[in-house]
Amino acid sequence: MGYKAKKAVVRAVLSALGAGFEVVSKRNAELKAEIADWEDGRVISVGVLPDGPAIALKKEGDRIRYLGKGDHNPTLKVLFKNVDAAFLPLAFQMGAHTAFAQHRAILHGNVAKAMQTTRAMAIVQTYITPGFILRKITKRPPRLTAAQCLFKARVLATLPIALAVNMRK
Amino acid sequence: MVPQYYEFCCPVKTISGLKALSNLPYEMTLLDARRALIVTDQGVVGAGLIRQVESVFEASDCRIGALYDRTPPDSSSAVVNEVADLFANEACDCFVAVGGGSCMDTAKCANMIVTEGTRDLMQFQGAERLKKPMKPFIAVPTTAGTGSEVTLAAVIFDQDTHTKMAFTSYRLFPDVAILDPKMTMTMPPKITAATGMDALTHAIEAYYCLQKNPISDALALAAIKLIMENLVACVEHGNDEHARLAMANAALIAGISFSNSMVGVVHALAHACGGVCRVPHGVANAVFLPWGMESNLGKAADAIAELAPVLGAAPSGDAKDQAKAAIQAVRDLGKRLNGLCGLPTTLREAGVSEDKLEAIAKAAINDGSVTYNPEEVTYEDALEILKKAY
Repeated sequence: MGYKAKKAVVRAVLSALGAGFEVVSKRNAELKAEIADWEDGRVISVGVLPDGPAIALKKEGDRIRYLGKGDHNPTLKVLFKNVDAAFLPLAFQMGAHTAFAQHRAILHGNVAKAMQTTRAMAIVQTYITPGFILRKITKRPPRLTAAQCLFKARVLATLPIALAVNMRK
Repeated sequence: MVPQYYEFCCPVKTISGLKALSNLPYEMTLLDARRALIVTDQGVVGAGLIRQVESVFEASDCRIGALYDRTPPDSSSAVVNEVADLFANEACDCFVAVGGGSCMDTAKCANMIVTEGTRDLMQFQGAERLKKPMKPFIAVPTTAGTGSEVTLAAVIFDQDTHTKMAFTSYRLFPDVAILDPKMTMTMPPKITAATGMDALTHAIEAYYCLQKNPISDALALAAIKLIMENLVACVEHGNDEHARLAMANAALIAGISFSNSMVGVVHALAHACGGVCRVPHGVANAVFLPWGMESNLGKAADAIAELAPVLGAAPSGDAKDQAKAAIQAVRDLGKRLNGLCGLPTTLREAGVSEDKLEAIAKAAINDGSVTYNPEEVTYEDALEILKKAY
């Protein structure tokens, strides 16, 4: 796949991740519990060196708001070294732990906050990623209850709308 | 097996041997340095080791510009700023850390402040945020050990935010590491055992965690072999120069290994235990090591099994049996050290109260090491290991 196509995939998945955070944080108790201890106003950026694409997320109350493209002066940055480094993890071919083990991404900011962010991302990923992919890329694939499966179906149904709403951000 | 991708780096010049310390001034001149700031602690001073360092400058053009001997066991931003101020005020041009991990981390962070010209270390948290070449830095370890003389990381406590700050950068590597057995000979038996188990944990976790690679594997095996052959001897006969030198080498080699392949749940729990209950790092590692290995049997049995011969376990059966034999060998070593010098084998023996386990588990899952652990580590997983280790 060419560079431009890879970059387009990376951009699309980052946008989906951002919209997914907003959708899941609105109703999911597990994610709300995970972010409960985060300071209000925490801004996290996930992006690709040297100059994008990137997205930013902000904790507001008991939810995460997707701020849109760019890094928005974050407290914490997760940066992939280049588009090739970002492609496999963001194209669901590789989990976050493997991405870090392969030196694909670096962290700017506090490690404890980064671990909290990784756990929150894993929760969001559970609800926006097909199960057969999760089984391949996670250390311990999640086992969803019937209620969680139903919630996942709702998230996947509303994600395209959330993406469309947030497209201009 | 060669992984799909890996990175390896160790640019530290290593000088090892009897009277290696006498080369310190010469190594400074190679780095174009003349005035050293010695960063050390009261324990090192009390053991007479700084007198050894002072003596090697006597017939040299190089000088000790200043001495900072108040490094605490857990360094802080306040201490780092004091060291940086002393460096600048006394016109020093080289850091020389003489001590354990805390002295090394303090010197690394003070070097960051001096080089970057700022007292705000927060802006450098994370990986690869340093852009300027650092001042010359020579490391002389007095424990065997943390391996900090060959790692690219430093951790200090920020007093304003009450959080630990971690920094990793290829620029944080010391220029030179000097291993002289007389610098570790004064270590009492219990500290010898604890720091030796820290080195063993580095090597073992480096061998089975996710970032392993052929170079770190070879180093890990070499380190484990040296530790198994020399640690008990160092605890029983502290004056054995050759055993002390072997352990210093083991700690350095293990340090290179884990710096390039990371560690896992054992270190995550040990860091958390140190933060919550002030258990010394080596003691915590010694307690958690067999339990951490056991918790990874599902995903890393093959790798752990490969350690059985070098741990002195007779290989037999399938990979899981051999891995269990390797874990038992670690337990046996722990029991032996417990008998020789009272090194704790449980958290209770280490002075941890049961009501602290939840807080330790909560801190452990926020440690970056869990990323590289083969098995998932949730709060519940961490608590389960803690209860077993209690």
